[in-house]
Amino acid sequence: MKLVRDVLDKKLTDREDCEMGRVSGLVMQVGERSQPRITHILVGGKTLWMRIHPWIARVAARLSRMWGPKRDEPVRIPWSRVESVGKDVKLDVKARDTGALDWELWVAKHIIERIPGGGKQEEE
Amino acid sequence: MKKILQLTLGIITSVGGFLEIGSVVTAAQAGANYGYKLLWAILLGTICLIFLVEMSGRLAAVSKHTIVDATRERFGFPFFSIVMLGIVAVAFLVLVAELGGIGLALQILSGIGFRWWAIPVSIIVWLLMWKGTFGVIENGASLLGLVTISFAVAAVKMHPDWGGAAHGLLPTMPGDGKAKYGFTAVSILGASISPYLMYFYSSGAIEDKWDESYIPMNRIIAGFGMTFGGFLSMAVLVAAALSLQPRGIDIEKFEQAALLMTPALTRWGFYLFAFSMLFACLGAALEISLAIAYFFAQGLGWSWSEDLDPSRDSRFAFTYTIIILLGAIPLLLGIDPIKVTMMSMALTSATLPLAIVPFLFLMNDSIYLGKHRNGWLSNSVVAIVILISFVLAIISIPLEIIGG
Repeated sequence: MKLVRDVLDKKLTDREDCEMGRVSGLVMQVGERSQPRITHILVGGKTLWMRIHPWIARVAARLSRMWGPKRDEPVRIPWSRVESVGKDVKLDVKARDTGALDWELWVAKHIIERIPGGGKQEEE
Repeated sequence: MKKILQLTLGIITSVGGFLEIGSVVTAAQAGANYGYKLLWAILLGTICLIFLVEMSGRLAAVSKHTIVDATRERFGFPFFSIVMLGIVAVAFLVLVAELGGIGLALQILSGIGFRWWAIPVSIIVWLLMWKGTFGVIENGASLLGLVTISFAVAAVKMHPDWGGAAHGLLPTMPGDGKAKYGFTAVSILGASISPYLMYFYSSGAIEDKWDESYIPMNRIIAGFGMTFGGFLSMAVLVAAALSLQPRGIDIEKFEQAALLMTPALTRWGFYLFAFSMLFACLGAALEISLAIAYFFAQGLGWSWSEDLDPSRDSRFAFTYTIIILLGAIPLLLGIDPIKVTMMSMALTSATLPLAIVPFLFLMNDSIYLGKHRNGWLSNSVVAIVILISFVLAIISIPLEIIGG
C-alpha cells in the first residue's frame, strides 16, 4: 500500500457508511529496534492547516477557541480500526463516538435545527 | 425504458439549463457590437464544453468519484486548497451575477429596481435549496428554462443572413478596437466553459448512482444537450446582431437587451425575454450555490446530498445558506449586475487552467478510469481551447480594466 497515494486525503466512512471527513494525517511510530509502523489516522482542522502553513494552523486554532465545539487536539483513530482501504477508508468505529463529527453536530444543533424546516439530527 | 426516459430528460435539462446571464449578456453584447463576427467564440467554447461535460460524467460513472473528490485525493490538501480558493471565488462572483439577473428580470417586469429584489430573490433561491430535492432543482428549473428556446424562434423569424453567420464561425480580427473585441471573446468563452457546470454534473451523476453502463448515455446527453444549448447562445448573438446592431444599441443597460426579441415577436418578445432571463438565471443560481456547497463538502469529506434533511448534512446546508446570503450583499449595495457578469465571465476564462489542468491529469489516470481514460483527441481539444482562453484572458482583462 502506498500511504500517500492510497490513504492520505481519502474519505473516511464508519461502519454504517456515514461520512466522517478525510484522512488529514498519519501518525508513524519509529522505534529503535522495531520497524516503523503507522499507529493512528488523524482527522480534522489542525493537522490539515499545518500541511499548508503553521501560521494558518495557529490562526485556525485561535478562531476555533472562540467559536464551535471546543476541541484542542485532532481526532486520532487507531490504525487497528481500519477495516478496508479502497475507494474510501472504511473504519470499524461509530463516527459520532470518535469526535470526527463534532463540527457537523455543532452546526446542526446551534444553527440548522433552529431554522424552520431544518429537521432534527437523530438522537440516539 | 427507464434509461430512455433519463436520456430524454438529461438532454432537455441540458438545453433548458444552458443559458444563464453570462451566456445571454456576452452573446448579446457580441451581436450588438460586432454582428456575427464572434460566433466562432461560442462554437469553440461549446465544443470544449461538450468534451468537458462528457469527461465529468465518465469520471463519476467509472470511478464513483466526483471531480472534487478525485482532485483532493490525487493532489493532496495544499494544492486542492489553492484550486478551491480560486474556483469558489470566481463561482461566487458568477452567483452574484445570476442573482442580479433574476433581479433585473423582475425589474423590467415590475418597474421596481433590482436592488429591492436582492433580498427576496436570495430568500427564494435559499428556500428552494432548503426544501427542494436534487431532482426538483435539476429538472424543475431546467424545464422552466426551456422558455429560452424563444431566442431561437426570434432569431429565425428575423431572417438572418445564413452565409454571413457561417463566416462568423471562422475567427477574424477587427481592424480597430482589438482590446474590446478580445475581452468580449474571452467573456463568451468563460460563459460557455463554466467549471461549475462540471462540478454540478459530476455530483449529479453520483447522486443518481451512475455506473459504467451509463457511459453511452452520458456521451449522448453531453453531445446533444450542449450542442443544442450552444445553438441557443448563437441564437441570442444572431438576434442581437439583427435587432440591436442596426439601431446602434450597445448593451450597457439591461432594458436595452430586453429589446432583443421585439422586432420579431413584438410585445410578446419583451415578456419572453424577461421570463427567459428569470428562469435561466434562477436555474443557474441554484446550480452554482449547489456546486459551491458540493465543493466544500466533497473536498473536506462532509456528508452531502441535496436530498437529505438539512440537519443531516448540516455543514453542507450551512455553506449554501451563507453563500446565498452573501451573494445578495453586492446587489444591495447597487453594484451593476451587467458589469459583474462581464468581469466574472472573463475571470472564469482566466482561471480555467486552475480547474481544467488537474482535471485532465485525472482523466488520464488509470487508477481512476482504467480503460476508460481519455484519448488523444479529447485531451488535445480541451488543452488547446483552455490555452487560447487563458492567453486571451490575461491579455485582454488588464486592457479592459485600464480602458474601462
